[in-house]
Amino acid sequence: MAEIATRSRSRRAALVQREFVRFSVSQRLEHLMTMVCFAALLATGLPQKFSDASVSIWLVNSLGGIDNVRFIHRIFATVFIFSAFYHVGAIGLSITRGKFNPSMAPSLRDFVDALVMLRYSVGLSNSKPRFGRYDYRQKFEYWGIVYGGIIMIVTGLTLWFPTYVTRILPGEVVPAAKEMHTGEALLALLVIVTWHMYSVILSPSHFPGDWSIFTGKISHEKIKEEHPLEYVALVGGALEELEEAPDQVQTPTAVAASAGDGEPERAAESTGDEPSKG
Amino acid sequence: MTRSARWPRWFLVWLGMGSVALAVLLVLFRGGFASAGQTTDAPASAQAPASMSDDECLSCHSDPDASMSLPSGETISLYSDPAVFRRSVHGDKLNCADCHVRNQTVPHPSLNVVTARDFHRAEYELCKRCHFENYTRTLDSMHFDVVAAGNAYAPVCTDCHTAHSVMRLADSHVQIAKTCSKCHGAIYDDYVQSVHGSALQSEGNPDVPVCTTCHGVHNIQSATTAAFRLASVDMCAKCHASKKLMDKYGISSNVLKTYLDDFHGKTTGFYQEQSSEVWPETPVCFDCHGVHNITRVDDPNSPVMKENLLPTCRRCHADATANFPSAWLSHYEPSVKKAPIVFFVREYYRFLIPIMIVGLIMHISLDLWRLARNR
Repeated sequence: MAEIATRSRSRRAALVQREFVRFSVSQRLEHLMTMVCFAALLATGLPQKFSDASVSIWLVNSLGGIDNVRFIHRIFATVFIFSAFYHVGAIGLSITRGKFNPSMAPSLRDFVDALVMLRYSVGLSNSKPRFGRYDYRQKFEYWGIVYGGIIMIVTGLTLWFPTYVTRILPGEVVPAAKEMHTGEALLALLVIVTWHMYSVILSPSHFPGDWSIFTGKISHEKIKEEHPLEYVALVGGALEELEEAPDQVQTPTAVAASAGDGEPERAAESTGDEPSKG
Repeated sequence: MTRSARWPRWFLVWLGMGSVALAVLLVLFRGGFASAGQTTDAPASAQAPASMSDDECLSCHSDPDASMSLPSGETISLYSDPAVFRRSVHGDKLNCADCHVRNQTVPHPSLNVVTARDFHRAEYELCKRCHFENYTRTLDSMHFDVVAAGNAYAPVCTDCHTAHSVMRLADSHVQIAKTCSKCHGAIYDDYVQSVHGSALQSEGNPDVPVCTTCHGVHNIQSATTAAFRLASVDMCAKCHASKKLMDKYGISSNVLKTYLDDFHGKTTGFYQEQSSEVWPETPVCFDCHGVHNITRVDDPNSPVMKENLLPTCRRCHADATANFPSAWLSHYEPSVKKAPIVFFVREYYRFLIPIMIVGLIMHISLDLWRLARNR
């Protein structure tokens, strides 16, 4: 993406027609890996939490018994731990290469954005906050996964190797780790089911799904609507130009959609719904 | 009142009397048939030698020196004390010939046995004429498996119940334990030292389990199978999860729940639901508390006494160190006093999860609301 940002303004018109690369192959694989691990760990972990439920018993027996279930759980846990290390390693590598973009770093602006969004949602204001590469909701989810992932890994390893942990720590940390592991897992599940599913699939802005994380691409309408600051940084130019930008680049559908109320944000939003990627 | 108005009442009276008479006749007839059946049976039983009286039997068998030698060289006594028999549970119901049907001719038919044990194993079959149900149960027992494997000394009816002085064993828990101890002496010695056995011995406590409470009676199963191991948890829980019974002794009745909530118990729970029989390595009650020698948890010798817990844990967790045993909350529910870290972690998620989810749903709702208004 860095090379895109250096393109000259004269080529902007051509560029904005294209899709932007949002996620690298490595990042897409990381998401896929996390997704698979998450599903597998829940499938093998929840039946242990809700061990009385008949569906749990069915699942455990289908997987060949509780010993198999725990074995599978630990295999995916290991994969998850490695993917977490890979993530940290990839960040470290990009820092040493001077390519690191701290776009996920939380800032004061995110809290301001959240407040502005709240004002917009309740109708006190008509302008949405302008987000950079990641908006406050995405940052919240990312850091939630980082925090939750660390908790799950630490408590999970405690449960896996209780005799090693209790060489240093008091025995009570083992049942506490179990309580934390099970609580954090339930929290993660509920957050993913409500929040993530809404944000990327069920929300009218994205339905039937924002597939950027799988295709790696984002349409120009979408990046301009949802990540205007990043868009500006990528293509150059001033932020104010964005207000007129939609007219220049809008597709016929977008124009039609915006004809009703003439609200540019709304118009861009509806075009964002279109599954423009293959 | 005219005659025509009165006749239905007469009719009812006749009907009533008629039906009573019919009923009486029917009862008499049935009785007649039944007695007719008996009278036809009577000659048949009279023909059989069942009429051999006890006196006839005792003319020989009341001699304390009456004996018989067997091909093995063993001698078995043929003496039976009629007084002992009359005091037994069968004393007022049976006569000699009711059981010893094949010996109703004198001289008795010859026996095809070599040893005294052969003789006893042949004679015990007599019990099944009346006690067929319990007899078939013994065929499903592990004692019978031992017989089938070639051990002639595995118990048969008369080994536990005796032949002639049969008492109702279920009436006396002490007697049950003593009966089993005839063969299982070492286990009995452990048992009488245990919290259960000593209560039975010293006070005849009817609440404590005896051998048959846990092992069953006639269809006694092997206690070394995976199935027994898995079922043992519920076996102990039959008493130890009963609040009424445990309150009597000031013991927690929460032990099963706290066990099943923990890692070990959950594993056992899943094993119980598994169809294939796998050996459950996970500990069950008696792995930590002991089996026949089970003690009070505050007994200095208890394997679950705090001071003794580490060696108990090490039986499975070989590399456990001093801190490890307190990872097990000793059947306590976490509370501020007991396991505060666990308690606060639990409370933390109890509050955080609803707050987080309600917050996120509110955010979603606001987003949807705004989108709807934009439309």
